[in-house]
Amino acid sequence: MTAALTARSVQKRFGAAVALSNAALTLERGEVHALVGANGCGKSTLSKIIAGTVQRDSGDIVVNGAPLVLSSPAEAEANGISLFYQELSLIPQMSVEDNIFLGREPRNGAGFVDRKALAKKADALLQRFAPVAGRGLNSKARVSDLSPDQRQIVEIVKVLARDPDVVIFDEATAALDHRQVELFFRIIGEMKDKGVSFLFISHRLAEVFAVCDRITVMRNGESVDDFVTAETDMDTVVRAMVGDIAHDLDPAPSTDFTSASARLVVQGARGQRLQDVSFSLRPGEILGLGGLQGQGQSILLQSLFGAEPLTGGRVLIEGRPVVVRTPRAAVRHGFGYVSGDRGRDSALQGRSIFENMAIAEWVAERRRLVWPGRLQARLSEIAQSLNTKYPSLDAPIDALSGGNQQKVFIARWLATNPVVLLLDDPTKGIDLAAKADFFRLVRNLAAAGAAVLFYSSEDAELIGLCHRVLVFNSGRIVAELERAELTSFNLTGAAYGSAA
Amino acid sequence: MERFRRLLTEPLVLASLAILVLLGVGEFLSPGFARGGQIARILTVSAILGLVSAGQALVVIGGREGIDLSVGALISLGALVAGNVMSGENGAIFSAILAAGGLAFVIGLVNGMGVTLVRIPPLVMTLGMMGVIQGGLVVLSRGIPSGNAAPALMTFINRPLVFGLPGVLFVWALVALAMWFILRRTALGYAIYAMGANERAARLCGVRTGLVRTLLYGLSGLMAGLTGVCVIGYTGNSFISVGDQYVLPSVIAVVIGGVSLAGGTGGYFGVVLGAIALTLLQSVLTTLQLEFWGRQLIFGAVLLGLMLLYGRTKRLRV
Repeated sequence: MTAALTARSVQKRFGAAVALSNAALTLERGEVHALVGANGCGKSTLSKIIAGTVQRDSGDIVVNGAPLVLSSPAEAEANGISLFYQELSLIPQMSVEDNIFLGREPRNGAGFVDRKALAKKADALLQRFAPVAGRGLNSKARVSDLSPDQRQIVEIVKVLARDPDVVIFDEATAALDHRQVELFFRIIGEMKDKGVSFLFISHRLAEVFAVCDRITVMRNGESVDDFVTAETDMDTVVRAMVGDIAHDLDPAPSTDFTSASARLVVQGARGQRLQDVSFSLRPGEILGLGGLQGQGQSILLQSLFGAEPLTGGRVLIEGRPVVVRTPRAAVRHGFGYVSGDRGRDSALQGRSIFENMAIAEWVAERRRLVWPGRLQARLSEIAQSLNTKYPSLDAPIDALSGGNQQKVFIARWLATNPVVLLLDDPTKGIDLAAKADFFRLVRNLAAAGAAVLFYSSEDAELIGLCHRVLVFNSGRIVAELERAELTSFNLTGAAYGSAA
Repeated sequence: MERFRRLLTEPLVLASLAILVLLGVGEFLSPGFARGGQIARILTVSAILGLVSAGQALVVIGGREGIDLSVGALISLGALVAGNVMSGENGAIFSAILAAGGLAFVIGLVNGMGVTLVRIPPLVMTLGMMGVIQGGLVVLSRGIPSGNAAPALMTFINRPLVFGLPGVLFVWALVALAMWFILRRTALGYAIYAMGANERAARLCGVRTGLVRTLLYGLSGLMAGLTGVCVIGYTGNSFISVGDQYVLPSVIAVVIGGVSLAGGTGGYFGVVLGAIALTLLQSVLTTLQLEFWGRQLIFGAVLLGLMLLYGRTKRLRV
């Protein structure tokens, strides 16, 4: 019997970056197959290629024995492959039933949409989730009126409504509660028995072990290991994800901070995607935020900076409670925020390097009048101390490389003498030399007494730089790793929610 | 060659060149066009356009598709209010300026709040406001022109004050100085550029983008209201659609001056040149005996032509 789907030596580049160098996967008929790996290992790219939303550069994908090109999602669907969208694909203004059958509405004899059949089918599908659906989830409800978990159920139902042979569930359980996940797994089990195959991507290793038959581990764009779930354990899988690369270059000095009093204390912070986050940060400390991407690390930093709302909890600076509702308030309280998304969050495109550097200082120092000459000397001193290469302070920011731009945006905050520096995956897309400069800089800042919160999607950076790391999963801190416990193995294990 | 081409697409160079060419063409078509008295008259008209364009420039620089289409209606309103407050009395000039400027400032702030708090696109917000003001003017004045300028105001705007130049030109110079000071020597000015370049980044640096943007629309309203006072001083009396002819030119002057409609670039000096170039063009077209609609056609074509020219050098960010 042929496999439901086979992928062989799939390769994909995005510009200069290699996303997949050698991805392979065999999905048997009627099995649930997990795809796991650390950030940037290529699991999302592979699943998108299988779903037809991204085109591969080379390699084969064979479905039911026939090699396929899969140049569009529609083509993938025509071949029985259905993708669950992690970023919700529902149209909020439309009803649940219309969303479920969007683009594939049942027709009557005259070719018009058969509303009765549509409603009946939608009801039958939703019925399967009835015990856990909660109030207000019915086929006529508007999607915009539903809660996040109900939307996710609709999204799942939408996938099931296509009668697929192969389903890709990419983080399909993220918004669901415990009971909903249980029922969802039961439905997967029933469908599996009917011969449907599932590719299952989740940041919860416990779920992988609960529902999957086999596990494929990816690392650096390659499929490195295959496991039968019943014959392995979490530690083995985590070890495969990490590999045995030693990258503890230039480790941060272990310093005893217990004597100093906390500069920043966060107690029970809650937000849209944050649940009960508490920690404290001391002067001179570099505290890392780890875990898989999108588990609340960025949201936490943005919330502390006043760019996203906190719905509960307390924030204290130097023991005094502060309420930060706007970035302006955060700047005045001595926070600095460096984003990894420079184009969106940092760059004042078309403006001079000088203006890009000075803008936060004017806010922090409550300046009204500006005499460019007076600030220029100080700013160029800061920029040079960061090893920034620039033609002159009057040159436009767009003239600089990514790494040098990022140095300018760090200089922007150094000019304000921040007491807490929030770094939000700041080394994204900058070259290695600039990264090394950047790490030296952060270490010097900490040594000079700044408190640094550092989120990175690369475990090696956390290990190399941080005194302590808080690991996030689903908006919660699931582990706190001290310097001595800071290893790739522990980080990856904690990120997947297995006991570290 | 490449350098020459780049120089030609440099807005300031282009505007200066246009001024020289238009002077030459004018002199050729009607000898005496480029003489002192005539120049002073053209500069006076330029000053009036330049004042309303100052507000327009601020709104455009502030970004997020910023534009103020209500300036024409606000000029009409300013002229009507000022005319009625003055009623030909020199003693009431100051109160007239205060009333016209104040009212237009408040209406501009409403524009700004619509754009920032309700997030109505600027084009729609100010277009709607234009309709409201125009309708309101008809209702209030019952369509009958009323009010007239004080003699001193007319003298100030039309008659030479110093060096053969009318007083309004010195007001324009003061406004230009103030614009330079705000844009280049205050944190507010740099915040306006920052916001126009990247609103999210500016907000993350602590700029109160909503407040600043509201203020920009307020200032645009204020400048339009004051322009209305100048307009009635220029003509002596007003009619309810006197300001309409300034809407398109105020935008064109800003674009000629090198302010990108995408926001975040340009200064007022270019806009000054733009206002002069546009007024010269208008004079040349009048010399050619082109009627209002013919001029409107040329103006529209100039704006679109400039967008084509600059669009090739810098794409409008959406």
